Amino acid sequence: MDRMQISRRQVLAGALGAASAMALAGCTAGGGTREAATVQFWHLLSGGDGITMQGLIDTINDAHQDFFIRPTVLAWGAPYYTKLAMAGAGGRAPELAVMHASRVPGYVPGGLLDPWDLNRLAELGVDESTFSEPIWEASQVDGELYSVALDAHPFIALYNTEICEEAGVLDSDGRLLRPDNPDDFLQMCREIAGVTGNHGLSYGFLADGTQMWRLFYGLYCQHGEQMSFSQTDGVDFNEDTFVAVLEFMSQLADGEIAARQGTIDFAIAEFAAQESGIHFTGVWELPTMREAGVPLGATMIPPIFGQEAVYADSHSFVLPHQMDPDDELRDYAYTFVAELLSNSLDWAGAGHIPAYQPIIEDPDYAELSPQAEYAEAADHIVYDPVAWFTGSGSNFVQDFGNIVGNTVVSGSGFDEAAENFRRHIEDILERPNPADPEETQI
Amino acid sequence: MTDVTADRSAVAPEPETVEEGPGISTAGRTRGQARRANQLIAWAFLAPFMLAFFLFVIWPLAHGIYLSMTDQSLTGAGGSFIGLENYAEALSDPVVWTSIRNTVWFTVISTIPLVLFALVMALLVNTGLPGQWLWRLSFFMPFLLASTVISQIWMWIFNPEIGVANEILTTFGFEPIAWLQTEHIDLISITIATVWWTVGFNFLLYLAALQNIPEHQYEAAAVDGAGRWRQLFSITLPQLGPVTVVVLVLQALASLKLFDQAYQMMNGGSSDTSRPIVQYIFEAGFVGYRFGYASAISYIFFALIVIVGIFQMTVLSRRKGN
Repeated sequence: MDRMQISRRQVLAGALGAASAMALAGCTAGGGTREAATVQFWHLLSGGDGITMQGLIDTINDAHQDFFIRPTVLAWGAPYYTKLAMAGAGGRAPELAVMHASRVPGYVPGGLLDPWDLNRLAELGVDESTFSEPIWEASQVDGELYSVALDAHPFIALYNTEICEEAGVLDSDGRLLRPDNPDDFLQMCREIAGVTGNHGLSYGFLADGTQMWRLFYGLYCQHGEQMSFSQTDGVDFNEDTFVAVLEFMSQLADGEIAARQGTIDFAIAEFAAQESGIHFTGVWELPTMREAGVPLGATMIPPIFGQEAVYADSHSFVLPHQMDPDDELRDYAYTFVAELLSNSLDWAGAGHIPAYQPIIEDPDYAELSPQAEYAEAADHIVYDPVAWFTGSGSNFVQDFGNIVGNTVVSGSGFDEAAENFRRHIEDILERPNPADPEETQI
Repeated sequence: MTDVTADRSAVAPEPETVEEGPGISTAGRTRGQARRANQLIAWAFLAPFMLAFFLFVIWPLAHGIYLSMTDQSLTGAGGSFIGLENYAEALSDPVVWTSIRNTVWFTVISTIPLVLFALVMALLVNTGLPGQWLWRLSFFMPFLLASTVISQIWMWIFNPEIGVANEILTTFGFEPIAWLQTEHIDLISITIATVWWTVGFNFLLYLAALQNIPEHQYEAAAVDGAGRWRQLFSITLPQLGPVTVVVLVLQALASLKLFDQAYQMMNGGSSDTSRPIVQYIFEAGFVGYRFGYASAISYIFFALIVIVGIFQMTVLSRRKGN
């Protein structure tokens, strides 16, 4: 018994010693190696995007002795926005963070973000002229610049060039045809399905509000209309258009054109296995498909309802609110952002369209294939309707999925879905913005 | 929870029995002084626990009640006192009711198979099948996995286009099902995954109880001419009564807490027939930023658990009385 106790103590003491040694080692590795100011930077980019971002950060860190960007990577979606909001609310947020542009309008009224200083950005070569119009506009809230876009990541159509060629749906340049009405598009997909013997189109939407909303809102805006939700003017959208788009989506999920019950994972797996010709997806799937060896082309989703409109969001840099900002660290954050933008050609490699125009105009970018094929999308981007409750990872997109999901699968109940959607938005608008219940800033 | 705290506070009087024991000198002190001193020592030993209990149970509980009467936002905004408005809104919010219904329904449809399957599995293993360790390991193994792992495994099994579940269905000529994406079926799918995941724990409790039944009772029964089935119903099952109560109590409380596997398997989004109340609290507070409102819902849920707890205690005390 005694022997056992001694040995247990020894083990504990040993473990404690080892732990403190490790903690000490951690300290020296973090702070002792260089005398640089640490700029905290939060982002939500994981997977391939995360690796690319880390590469860009490393390049900039290596080039500067005076500061050091320390990234903290958090999981995409609701959890990220929870943590960022709490950090901003506490006033001790990181110097810099990445947000989806569509979430910015919900953050500003609560005072969770600080605006960018246009003059300082201009000194670093970043101003209105270096962004496309829709992207620059989406960065503004109440006339102030709250976000600096790194990219636009639209929801597009990837296509398998070999399958599509066999189906005869490529033009003389070897690019996917772009039908301008629903029937032609459906027919094109059927021809592809004839070649694959499976589906023509991979589109994962089942029980996935985010995926449904991405396609839905792009197609909605192809009618030349946009939705608007406002606490003062109420809900404004066209129910006929709403129904037409849902009807079209349910025609896609007919089991021949696309799977009746395709989930997002299934759609990715199907297109990667070359069992379909077209994949409706975000540009961020490009590296995955390339690695899977798919002969790849990419285009904006055709103007099926007449006009060009591409649903997108942007990864944007924001300055989370700090009670007592350190001017020096803030300035380093500006420098970092400016340098990252001018290095964002690498970011384009991951599929995203760089927001910084000088990169788009760079001849090297024109050589990126298939990225250059959809660069034009930057001029036709539509973001989420501006409201405090919309945006990536919000409850809004999930609720949308719950409201319309069954209609897409069953092919009926579209009018009722439109009515339910209106009522749902009206309910939300009746409540104050939880980030600003007193509505001090609206 | 209440059971655990009751057990711990029951420890408090113990020093008194030590006091009477040999080897502790009470010379020179009156009985009353010694008792007081011992009580002080008892409190001193209890202090760390009491401190933690106050900080992490009592204080959050009290603060939560206060929060539920404010429009506090996660972003730090709000915080003004609004009385019972949140409660009024919650009680008229259909999602609160559907998610409570989902949680209760899940508790019912998960607890029953979790008790029955565990019992059957334990009985089978206890018959002395060869390779005991293998059975024990296989039945218990899933319980050791994290909920995230379980969710991933079952999301693929349930994949409507390429999942194993539909493969089996279509092999036998049935129509494929969108397991996690069809209303009403989604919660059943989550239940199936949960049963597979956690049945091993109940199985282990039952197996331990079975192995505690003295062998001589079976021998005596055999001598009296009782067959295997008679032994099962007259000896085994009656003696498993107490452990069944434990399993039921633990299981009902665990099922009411449903969140992780449901949240993960539904990819963070849920239908009206699968969203558990805990997830709605999470959505209201952490995604929708409405801390006050989320607190109010959680107290309504708390009331529900208290009712279940009182019901269980009544049933338990009646059993003891018998």
